[in-house]
Parts: sequence; structure tokens; C-alpha cells
Amino acid sequence: MARHLARRLGQALLVVAGVVVLTFTVMRLVPGDPAVAFAGPKATPEQLAEVRERFGLDDPLPAQLVAYVRDLLTGDWGTSLRTRQPVLDDLYLAFPASLELVGAALVLAIVVGVPVGVLAARHNRRLPDLGVRFTSMLAVSVPVFWLALTLQLIFASELGWFPIAGEYDSSLDTTSPLTLWTNITVVDALITGNWPILTSTLQHLVLPALVVAAYPTGVIAQMTRAALIEEAGQDHARMERALGFGETAVLTRFALRPSLVPVLSIVALVFAYSIVNGFLVEAVFNWPGLGRYAAESIKARDTPAIAGVTLLVALVYTLANLVVDLLQGVVDPRVRAR
Amino acid sequence: MRWHKRLLVAGVTGVLALTASACAGGQVRGAGGTPAPQQSGTGQSRSAPSEGVANDSTFVYVPNLDVVTDWDPATSYSNEIVALSNIYEGLTRYDAQTQKAEPRLAQKWTSGEGGKEWTFELRPGVTFHSGAPLTAEAAKKAIERTIDKKGGAAYIWDAVDKIDALDDKTLKFTLKYPAPLDLIASSGYAAYIYDVGAVDPDGKKDGGTGPYTVDTWQKGKETELTLKAYEGYWGGWKPEQYKKVAFRVTPEITTAWQLLQKGEVNFVQRLNPQLFQQAGGTDGVRTSQSPSFQNLLVLFNTSSGPAKDERVRKALQAAIDYDGLAAALKGSGQKASGLVPEGLLGHVAGMQPKQDLDKARQLLEEAGYGPDNPELKLSLTYAQGDDDQKLLVTLLSAALKKLNVTLQARPMTWNAQWDLGKKRGQDVFVMYWYPDYPDAYSWFLNVFRSADEPQFNLSYLKDAQIDAGIDALPELTATNQVRADETYQDLQRKIIEERAAVAVPYVQTYQRALSADVEGYVDNPAYPNVVFFYDLKRAA
Repeated sequence: MARHLARRLGQALLVVAGVVVLTFTVMRLVPGDPAVAFAGPKATPEQLAEVRERFGLDDPLPAQLVAYVRDLLTGDWGTSLRTRQPVLDDLYLAFPASLELVGAALVLAIVVGVPVGVLAARHNRRLPDLGVRFTSMLAVSVPVFWLALTLQLIFASELGWFPIAGEYDSSLDTTSPLTLWTNITVVDALITGNWPILTSTLQHLVLPALVVAAYPTGVIAQMTRAALIEEAGQDHARMERALGFGETAVLTRFALRPSLVPVLSIVALVFAYSIVNGFLVEAVFNWPGLGRYAAESIKARDTPAIAGVTLLVALVYTLANLVVDLLQGVVDPRVRAR
Repeated sequence: MRWHKRLLVAGVTGVLALTASACAGGQVRGAGGTPAPQQSGTGQSRSAPSEGVANDSTFVYVPNLDVVTDWDPATSYSNEIVALSNIYEGLTRYDAQTQKAEPRLAQKWTSGEGGKEWTFELRPGVTFHSGAPLTAEAAKKAIERTIDKKGGAAYIWDAVDKIDALDDKTLKFTLKYPAPLDLIASSGYAAYIYDVGAVDPDGKKDGGTGPYTVDTWQKGKETELTLKAYEGYWGGWKPEQYKKVAFRVTPEITTAWQLLQKGEVNFVQRLNPQLFQQAGGTDGVRTSQSPSFQNLLVLFNTSSGPAKDERVRKALQAAIDYDGLAAALKGSGQKASGLVPEGLLGHVAGMQPKQDLDKARQLLEEAGYGPDNPELKLSLTYAQGDDDQKLLVTLLSAALKKLNVTLQARPMTWNAQWDLGKKRGQDVFVMYWYPDYPDAYSWFLNVFRSADEPQFNLSYLKDAQIDAGIDALPELTATNQVRADETYQDLQRKIIEERAAVAVPYVQTYQRALSADVEGYVDNPAYPNVVFFYDLKRAA
């Protein structure tokens, strides 16, 4: 297990290093002068020269790459050309909000997706199965911006059940200010017992989390179903049936556990995917997250910020995969033995 | 341990590890790292005993981008103008109706020596938010600091040779060459008068004299910025004025529109034409539409390539479907008349262009192109992601196709487009232009005055006669406005009609929506997207 983990860790580091080099190269290959983005559209030649000097944009590319990697390692991820703040500070503000949204969505997706997958496997090729397969296909393929706008229009604007946009009612900042520990509003409100902000955040979270959850729920349900059906055809399942266990017991008590191994890898994948691809949802619901930050940065051709987001996502992705590796060992001892 | 439990334990451990790693110590949100200051927020204003029937509601402004990128009043040159214009004031403020600079921190002013000497008399009883009084010395220090910083639009003071504080309230500028300093001092950028000791890059305090001061700033949050009334404001306060302002960043137009309909916000900076039309017929919502100082320039390459031929340029001018474009813009732009937008000295009425395909065909034939001659290929660059410019390109391509002219249009980011333009790499360059201070001079000096190394002169026009006219403008504007107006008219005729260096299809229009209970809103194009909250009041 330890060797397995060490190998995965090594691979992860290699991936991150590759991402660093790749983002750097792509950023410098794009035509146009990055100094213009910082100095403004009407910058004078002197102002442009000054910016180039300050960020070392005139140095040869390999030297710039070395300086870039050195800075990254010392915690200096550069200064955003758009917000003029250190990129790491910006990410520290944006990432927790995304984590909150995607975290909530994934909890929803697992809580709904796994049982629904079991239900479909239990009634393979019968009405419940067809229903689940149809709905999950719909959930996976519906465009998120359409879903976001529709839910917002119906449940927020027309019915008024949920707030239209935002993370929580900002007037609460003065009536019951939140003490920050993790920068994840829900978590902070919970650990400091700030009930007004917690309630408000949960209300604001429902619609965007539903939209973000649509895709993972569909994928998890399909995956659970497929894995369960395969597992139910194995020898051990025949044995369990012979011992007199009912079909439901065979699925939930014996087949579910090994089936969760592929489901877990999918969860890691959709987690990293949703962190950035939530940007359409974040835009519609004014969620101050990473996707929105990334979209604005790309629009402004804000190279340090784009590189920062890419690196962070690569880190999250590899970290999520590592965590899943660990969890798989917990769920299925055979993985540990391998 | 059962596997369910192990999974649970692993999950909890993960969450705890995450929490620990993200942990940066307890901070109160909105206080930016330090505990919240003694008084802040909407909660207090509710119980404020000073005003009998105070307007305790907050005015909520909806921008579509982050508000503040630069807190320094010297170098600020971006979206934060919507906030800083309410925190800081200049010596004068431009009025687009009278086309003149009106008193602000300066009560009155005189100019002499043919526009080379300007003396401003400061308003008495003005204090900075830091508590210090406004003196001529303080104002001098502020402008000198802005000039020294050389950032943003600091170049507007280029004409200034020296500044003297003659006494406590008299500020005298000596210029290197004549310039309309009253207009320059009304600029939305780089003209703020501030307490140089109170500049704070983190926005926790400010050194302005304006009616509002910073309350909270939370970078990256939805409600990014809140402002509160500065009680010591020289203009005083009336109960019905808004004493609290919040900026709620909303990138999605439809979301902004829903927030406005629900009454959660008061002002939406920009709606699209469809929603704007819908807003016009919605209860509780008012709309405002007015032309901006930003127009679209279609610049033709006068120095190389096929457009070097004046006839080709005139044919291109005649091929643009100006009316079709204006109609397709559905109110987000209106047909331009000349280079100078309405509301500025030098605007010429009745110079609206018209499409004339017969004339275009005839001119092309004279130049050796057209339907019966070899195909003419022209390259054009325009802004990526700008739907209005794309519309122009589509209409122009279609019209030129009939004349056997193929338009190779490339949408580009500004950086890339500008880089190529500086190398004279295209036949047609499409861009917006706007002045940094309310003076049409900006179009002529930056875009049409000869330059060996082009910066914004992307038609590469080189014309000594036009240069002479441009160089005479600052002094005329400062001393003889009638003559200045005539010179502007003359220059526009030469640049557009004689030399055909540019076509100006439209001026952008602001389409705003605001809640019906807001009174006193006037759009001032000299300060793009700015709402002067102090001028508003809430209807009973």
C-alpha cells in the first residue's frame, strides 16, 4: 500500500510539473503584449516598458520559466493583471466558495445517485430502471446554463422560494459578522455557531448546488448501476443467492462495496471537473467562486491568474485522485493487497 | 470496524485536514484582516438618531465587473471610477448639457496669457475624510503626486509646468503651452484632489473630499464594496438622500434584471436591448437611455496596401450600411455625426453618413477593382467578443461581396490587435475611442496626428495641414471657443470627407434601468457609468 501510494504521489508530482511548464509555454505563445493588459488600453510606451521591466517580460523565456517556478515554490504565484492583487490571495478568496458549492453538489449527487443506481440495478430492464436511465441521461446532457436560468426564473423570480443570486444576504455582515477560519462560509458559520449566516447561505446554496449536482448525479447513478449489475453476475453473488439471501440483500450487503471502487474514481473526476466548469452556474447565481474568477481572467487575458487557476485545478485534481486511492483501499481491501 | 464506518472516518478526517490546511486564523469578514471598526454597516444607520426621517435605505448599484482594481486616486484608470467619483472630487465637474466645466472644489477660476496661466479659487469649508482642511497647498501636493506617479491618465497634466499655492485658497498653474485646464481638471481619471497622507492601497481609508467614504471592501465578494455618507461633507446632507451605497457585482445581465424586478437593487449599469425594451414596460422600473462619449472608429490604412488609394477608402466609407447597422443595434448605439460625439465642443450636426453602393462601385472601378475587375482582398481586425463590432463586420462583408471585394475579418484580443496595428499589419482597424477628459482634442491628437511610430494613429494618416489644425486646438479651446468649434468642424471635414481616413458608424448608447423610486438621476457621459449618488433622492 505504501509503495502504491508513493508511486501515485510521484506520478502526481510529475503531472503538476508538466502542467506548470505547459501553462507557462502556452501563456507566452499567445500573440499580443501581456504588458498591455496590466498598463491599460491607452498605455504610453514608457508605461509599457516599465511594466515589462517590473515583471521581467523582456528576459529570455527559459529564464522567465526558472524565475516562475522559483516564485511558485516560495508561495509567490504572481500578481493578477486584472485585480492587481497577489494571485494566491485571489485564489484564497475564490476557491473556498467553489469548494462550498461543488462540495454541497457532490454530497447531493452521492446521496441521490448511489441509491438511485441501486434501485435501477435491482429492477434491471424494468420500469424503474428505464426511468432512472432516462432521467440520468437527461441530467447529464442538459446544458447547465439553461438549467440554471430556468431554475432561477421559476423558483427564485416567480415563486420566490429561494433567493435569486448571491452567497448570503450581505446585510448580515453587519448584523452578525462572520468570523473566518476556513473561508468556506458554511463551515465557518457552523463552527462559530453563526446561525443567521448559515441559514442564509444554505438558502442561497440550494439552486446552484442542484444545478451543479445534475451532471455528477447522473454519472454516479449510471456508474453505480453498471458496476452493481456486473458485480451481481459474479460467482460470489450466485453463492449468496444459494445461501438464501434475497436480491436486494445481495446487491446492498455484498455487491455494493466492491462496486463503489469505480464510483469513487468517477467522483474524483467530476469533482475536479465541476470546480472549474461551474463557471456558468457561478455567473448566473453571482457565486463568487473560482469558475467566475477563471472566466473573468481569461476575458482580460490575465496570464498570472489563468496560470494560477490552472495550477490550482491540477493540484486539486491530483489530490482528489490520491484521496480516492486511499478511500478505495478503505472500501476494498483487495486494492491494498495489489 | 465495518467498512461503512471506516469510510465515514476517512471522510471526516479529510474534511478536518482540509479545514486545518485552509485555516488562516479567525478573521471577521468585511474587516479585511483586522477586527471590525467601531461603526460600520447598515445596522447602525437604522438606529442613527441624528436624522429625524432619514432615508435609511441603501442604494444598490449593479456593475457587471469587479469594482475596484486600484484604490490610488493618482493611478486609478478602470472600473473603480464608479466608486471613486463619489469619494473624491476634482476642481471642476463637466456638464454635458452646458458643454462646460462647472465649479466643484474650485469656486471660480480665470485664465490668462493665452491659456497658459490658470488661477483657481478653492471653495471654503471643505475637509478631507481624514479631517484635514482643503488648502491650496494640499491640492498642489495631490496633483503633483499624481503627476509624479506617471500612472493611469496622469498624462492629462502634461501641459503643467509648475503649480503655486498663492495663499490658503488660491491655486495657480503655469503651463508649458496653452491648454483648457478647466476641462482637464474635470477629468474622471487622475484629476482628483486628495489628502496625500491618507492614500491606502487596501481601501480601508481614503483621502477624498466627496460625499461618501469607504465603509467595507471585500475583494471578490458579490457585495464587493459599500460606501457611507461623510457627515462633514461641504454640501451638507438632506434626509431624503441616500446615505449608504452598495455595489453588488452581477456579471449575468438576466440575473441583474431579475434582482431589479424584485426590488433588491436600484441601478443596473447595462441591459441588453431586449431586456431594456422589456424594462420600459415594467412596473416599478424606470429606464434611461443616453448617448455616450464613446464611438466606433473604422480606420483605413492610408500608408500601405490597397486602401492607400483614396478612392478605395471612399468606396469603403460608402459601402457601410450605417442605417442598417443602427437599426440592428436596437438602441445600444446610434448613428454618429462626425468624429466628436454630442455633448462636446466641436460636435457637428448633420454629418451623418449614408450608404451609397453605386458610388462605391464607381470609385472601385476607377481604382481598378469592382465586379468587372480582379477581386480585391482586404484584411480587417476588430475586438474579439464584441457583438456590436461583429455586426458591423457582417454587414460590411455582405455589402462588399457584391462589389467583388472580400473582407478577411479577424476578431482579436486588444493586445494582439494593437500589436499588429502598430506594425501596420492590416487594411482596416476597428476600435472604440473615448476621451479621458471631456474634450474632443483626444480624438485628434491621439488618433489623427502624424506619428512616425504609430500608437493610436492606426490609419497612419500623415498630413501637415491637419497637424497644424490639431496643434492650434488647445489654445483656441482655452481662449476662443467659437474659433475652436470652427477648427474642429474643419478638421472633421478634412479627415472624414477629404482624406477618408476613417468612417464613424455609431456612438454607443447607455441603456440603464433603475428602480422607479429613485429621483434625480442624470447620465453624465463624461464620467462613464458613474452615478452621483449624492444627487439622488428616494421618493416618498
